[in-house]
Amino acid sequence: MSDDRREVVVVPCSGIGKPYGTVSREAAYELCDKLRPRDTRLVALAKLVLGDQEARQRVRASPAITIDGCKLMCASKLVQHSGGTVAREIAVLDVYRRNKGLKPEGLAELNEQGQKLARVLAEELAEAVDEIGRGGTPPGGSHA
Amino acid sequence: MPSLPRRKAGIVACSGEELAEGTVTRLAALKVLHVLRPHDTVTICLPLFLAGGEGDRAFARFHPTITVDGCELRCAARGTEMYSGKPAASIVVSEIVASAGLARPGGRRQLDDAGKRAVELTAEHLVRLVDDVLGRKGRGAGPGEPGTPALREPTAATCSCGSGVPTKKLVIDGKPVEVLALPLIFQQFREAGRAADEATALELLETVKIYNEVPREAEDRWREEILREYAAFCESEASR
Repeated sequence: MSDDRREVVVVPCSGIGKPYGTVSREAAYELCDKLRPRDTRLVALAKLVLGDQEARQRVRASPAITIDGCKLMCASKLVQHSGGTVAREIAVLDVYRRNKGLKPEGLAELNEQGQKLARVLAEELAEAVDEIGRGGTPPGGSHA
Repeated sequence: MPSLPRRKAGIVACSGEELAEGTVTRLAALKVLHVLRPHDTVTICLPLFLAGGEGDRAFARFHPTITVDGCELRCAARGTEMYSGKPAASIVVSEIVASAGLARPGGRRQLDDAGKRAVELTAEHLVRLVDDVLGRKGRGAGPGEPGTPALREPTAATCSCGSGVPTKKLVIDGKPVEVLALPLIFQQFREAGRAADEATALELLETVKIYNEVPREAEDRWREEILREYAAFCESEASR
């Protein structure tokens, strides 16, 4: 991605009670630390809960990718609540349904399947980051 | 007969994804929830105070809540107070680490050794606070001493995501009031065969007061309204 492309904000959910929340977090790290470190910026969801000005400004200034661990879709809702635009929202459960062999287990530490599921999810989102960088609309759900 | 939820300490971790200290909050909370105090603690994801329903927002009013933050922003403590209720206690990992003279944690995805030590220390602080707020001082660290294996399989700790605490709205003195746990209380009284009369009303009020702050000067109106609602509840259950 060239330097004139827009940074993409990545907001995973903070799910602590179910393995899908841990997958969300792992996938965000895989995407932001390994797959697209120059093009993405991780924003902590807790800051949006608090209404932290810097975090709100960041999600308002850049397209956001949200990763949610359950149907309550906290990350997606909070980005919109903060005035941001969700360019791509993804639910871990949907990715799992397409990859039934990768059943995540564990909260503090994911099992191997869960880690693989996080990588699959992150690779899917890396393509979305590239698409957003090219000025296109990434496949999947989005919210203005 | 349904039982009222047992009094548990709520733990709300910031889980801050940007910093290693955020990962420390998460892992320390999980250790307490699933290993050290599985029967005494419950948790909820912080964002649910905004993204969830009224039952989720009632969390800190129902459970004496301890917040665990990674940094001085104190998102969990301040967010809990803004949207749910004042925490019973709050701790901040960066302060715990500094006061213990430990190195700053590193590795937000995979904690380094300093981060792992910070998890142990933060979990110890949390356990003491859990015992304090539940009035169970003097307990040891068990079940699950440090070094207990794997947090992979949860034991009895509960995640409140999406379930929350059941509430019912009453109108008292012309103002809507959300009463925590009232549906469960009604259900319990009805299954005990309690008639909708004045004697029951007094007991209902005393039970409601365990979970809700009832102004002394308004107790009579609360009792009348609770009795009226209980009578309606019994009637509707009988016609099912």
